[in-house]
Amino acid sequence: MNKCVLPDPEKFFEIRFESIGGLGAHAAGQILARAAVLDMDLNGSHFSSYGSEKKGSVVRSYVRLGASDRPIRTSAPIDSPDVIVVFHSALLEQDITIAGLKQSGVLIFNAAADGVPDTLARAPAASRVIRIDATNIAIEELSRPNAVLLGTLTAAAPFLDADIVLRALTEKFKQRNPQAAAANERAFKRGASEFEELHGVGQAEGDLPIIRPSPVLGYETAPIGGVIPYPGNTISNDLSMSRTGWMPLFDEEKCIHCGLCATVCPDFCLVWTHEQSNGDVPKVRLKGVDYQYCKGCMRCIETCPTEALTRVTETPGLADRLRVPLYAGGAPGEN
Amino acid sequence: MATELHAVIREPNPDEPAAGSVRQSTDFLSGNEAAARAARDIGFHVMGYFPITPSTEVAETLSKMQAAGEHDIVMIPADGEHGAAGICYGAALGGGRVLNATSSQGLLYALEQLPVQSSTRVPMVLNVATRAVSGPLDIRCDHSDIYFALNTGWIILLAREPQAVYDLNLAAIRIGEHADVRLPVLVAYDGFFTSHQKRRIRCIEDREALQAFLGEPKTPYTALDPEHPVTFGPYMNDPDLINNKKQHSLAMEAARRVIPEVFAELAELTGRSYPVLDEYRMDDAEVAVVLLNSAAETAKEVADKLRRDGTLAGVLSLNVLRPFPADGIRQALKDVKAVVVGDRADSYGADGGNLSLEVRAAIQLDPDNHTRVLTRIYGLGGKDFDDGDAEEFFNEALEVVKTGRVETPFAYHGIYAGDPHETFAQGLPAIDSAEVSRGMATVTEDPETGRLNVELKPLWAMAEVPGRIAPGHGACPGCGAFPVLHQVFSVLEGDIVVLFQTGCAMVVTTGYPKTAHRVTYIHNLFQNGAATLSGLVEMYHELIRRGELPDSRDITFVMVTGDGGMDIGMGAALGAAHRNHHMMILEYDNEGYMNTGAQLSYSTPLGHRTSTSEVGTARRGKATHHKDTAQIFAAAHIPYVFTASEGYPEDLMRKAAKAQWYAKHEGMSYGKILSFCPLNWTTTDDAAESVLQVAVDACFFPIYEVERGKTNITYDPELLDRRRPVTDWLGQMGKTKHLIKKGNEERVAAIEAEVERRWRRLKAMHEHPEL
Repeated sequence: MNKCVLPDPEKFFEIRFESIGGLGAHAAGQILARAAVLDMDLNGSHFSSYGSEKKGSVVRSYVRLGASDRPIRTSAPIDSPDVIVVFHSALLEQDITIAGLKQSGVLIFNAAADGVPDTLARAPAASRVIRIDATNIAIEELSRPNAVLLGTLTAAAPFLDADIVLRALTEKFKQRNPQAAAANERAFKRGASEFEELHGVGQAEGDLPIIRPSPVLGYETAPIGGVIPYPGNTISNDLSMSRTGWMPLFDEEKCIHCGLCATVCPDFCLVWTHEQSNGDVPKVRLKGVDYQYCKGCMRCIETCPTEALTRVTETPGLADRLRVPLYAGGAPGEN
Repeated sequence: MATELHAVIREPNPDEPAAGSVRQSTDFLSGNEAAARAARDIGFHVMGYFPITPSTEVAETLSKMQAAGEHDIVMIPADGEHGAAGICYGAALGGGRVLNATSSQGLLYALEQLPVQSSTRVPMVLNVATRAVSGPLDIRCDHSDIYFALNTGWIILLAREPQAVYDLNLAAIRIGEHADVRLPVLVAYDGFFTSHQKRRIRCIEDREALQAFLGEPKTPYTALDPEHPVTFGPYMNDPDLINNKKQHSLAMEAARRVIPEVFAELAELTGRSYPVLDEYRMDDAEVAVVLLNSAAETAKEVADKLRRDGTLAGVLSLNVLRPFPADGIRQALKDVKAVVVGDRADSYGADGGNLSLEVRAAIQLDPDNHTRVLTRIYGLGGKDFDDGDAEEFFNEALEVVKTGRVETPFAYHGIYAGDPHETFAQGLPAIDSAEVSRGMATVTEDPETGRLNVELKPLWAMAEVPGRIAPGHGACPGCGAFPVLHQVFSVLEGDIVVLFQTGCAMVVTTGYPKTAHRVTYIHNLFQNGAATLSGLVEMYHELIRRGELPDSRDITFVMVTGDGGMDIGMGAALGAAHRNHHMMILEYDNEGYMNTGAQLSYSTPLGHRTSTSEVGTARRGKATHHKDTAQIFAAAHIPYVFTASEGYPEDLMRKAAKAQWYAKHEGMSYGKILSFCPLNWTTTDDAAESVLQVAVDACFFPIYEVERGKTNITYDPELLDRRRPVTDWLGQMGKTKHLIKKGNEERVAAIEAEVERRWRRLKAMHEHPEL
């Protein structure tokens, strides 16, 4: 066993992975913590925030590391992490993603090297902010973003033995897919070397405040029995984050308005209008996609007989520009 | 002080030679995995189970191990937790070792079986990953489930971390099987906090030494010895029953003696000791908290911190909840001035949860005790209990010590009153009945054939019918349940009331405080949805009959369920079918329990990989063929039964229109609809069209209807020359890829043969004028 020493052996070293279900944050946390406990002479725990077992929703994965002889008693989520790894740059738009980051902490985020999101100004001024294009590296190496990000993490927290983490990564996927081992190793190593440290980004003083989501309704304001007397109020949800790099593009010229796509769209995000010119039979026409609800499954493209719907890579701002809102002007009472 | 603190918070390095006589190794496991590891090491004979979050991983982990040939426990996937409890009871009557794992509603559904097993004195081990009891449905941790088990007569051990889960499962065997005890044992650990949190643990490597510790299972009576026939479960009224209960009570008393003995032997073996009562810095404590399981561990960190500041704080927790260690608690609290008992479940109206009521009762027996007791209900439904919460509990106790007064003996901790000025997303207006009644499907009865004919408007015309489910729901990308619902709801006319059984479509549409439903929606647990809706149907008609509700709305009642709900809910659904209530049942069949992580359902076909029918050297996926639910309903002779695929929208919509007509005019209609699940079929999100097509063309999923008893195949791939071998279908999904590899020919042949047999039978019924 390789003895790894924490930066401060008297304290826990805590890492929080912020991700979307399906990107591999749970597996990354598990690989890291397991390797730390079994091969780095550290004590550790790992757990993830869970909902129903589904893809596309926010997942947080927590790794708590301590000196080998220090018991880990608490099972509470990590509020004040030393490192936050953000798997999807869209998550940076939410304050809660980097909440609680220690002022001396490290923020690693997955994004292409084109501009620095304004939201990063919320990071502590003294923190290290690291950008890595994990998605592209993963695509190029036929690996997954979690392999890249684990590489970046070991580079940013050098007390973690990179060889051991890489070995653990290889072990994890060896059985399921032997070919993946070499791809993961390349992805991991590129993650450890191709990151970019952004200076002067964070503006906040001190540790970031902890954010605990508070309920909207309380025991004096919620209707009794858990009843929801607000039909259809999921329309204020934004599901854009469920898309993983692609979106359907609508070409009105090619559309024959057959309605097939409406029968397969699970997200009810296609927008139809009703047109009636003088004396004609009323026509129902597809106007476009409300990307607020589109999860990018591409079933509409698969079913479209005329290629009026095609798959395109989602670039920043594209969905906002092309969006046709289902509820123009917002729904009644929306906030 | 510093030295003392050091002594308190350090633990032995696991790589130094551990105390304990047996060879062990270090691993990194969650509580569920620890329970599974213990099960493997113990080598139970039989496990009867039904998946429920957060305990499912026990069966899943054992399924993986089984596929890899690591154990030979017979794992029986029950039709529900009630069935699982029955399987376990029956197996245990045979004298071997039996295991189960459950949570929450699963424990409650099994509840009536638990006293049967304990009072007939049949040991087994039941792991409970504790979870809040419905309703509203909450999958996270509290103790409302195990509080219901307090009166079942089972021994209850509490495991606060994965290591304890492993160790106490070993102890449970010895305690329960002890000749003076002979009781089943429940091992409870916190859902998610312990069940899903991985920690460093030590497991026994030397299986022989472990078996020597466990000993052979010995039973005074067995149901499997024809030379010595016995009657289990006689008819026993007064004056006998009370004496049977006295025996039960004596067994519990014997357990008080046996448990510490077994714990001491276990400590010798492993080096890890479990006192019945876990007293942390209680010796000179002035204030204390009493907490069960993971929360107690959090409180210990805070006690350390308070001690550093000079406060005499202690933490009392229990490793054994039944028999309740009242003597120990009385002793431990003797000189404590104020104690906060945290209850992770309320006993409504009793001014305290069960733990605080029992603690109060325990100290009340000591006439010299002056401890002031506060009850705090905390952490319900998985609400975190962190350092700040523990500190607040201690501070409340300190305040009592300071003032000598208990201002609030009972309170909820960590609640939120709400802000009346807070605005809230109101959603969409109710759907106007006329808006959705546009005649998209016109149903007419053909007096000659006795069948209904349906004329559909073109698909484009339907596209603008307002959806009864709003966008913004959280289903996985590509989910097939929503196209199914959309297609069906596009043709239903007028007002509808829906009941969704527990499952994906329920969870992703109603995450509080949001709902995607624009019509009235009801959830009930899937063992009882059909019964619930049938009650509402009858209330509706009776209110109209009495003139208490206008009959102008003509509501259609629709139950929506997954195929999982048609396993556990089969009894209730068939009951409703036999009563022929005017309602529709729609089953979106994605061939598994997908909401809980893809466990096998009875509708999962043979050989398919699921998380409880793993594939490995020793096992090859699910062991039995898929359930033919449509034929079961046809045998109930309801007016209309159909199958459909979301890949054939027009066919499905015609049948949905007919199903509504029959629900209005004649009684129950039922439809089983093949529904795509890319996540768990392991395909790309956009593979629906081809994979659904080939499932139908391979005749795995025949498309037909049984209308007033007459079978009609509505899509016959043979007539269209489109019939394909099942391998074409199996090759398209990750969950079945193993089947088309070499070595699985027999399995594939078995699938093919069963598919063919059912198809031929169906064709014969289609062709015969009376079938």
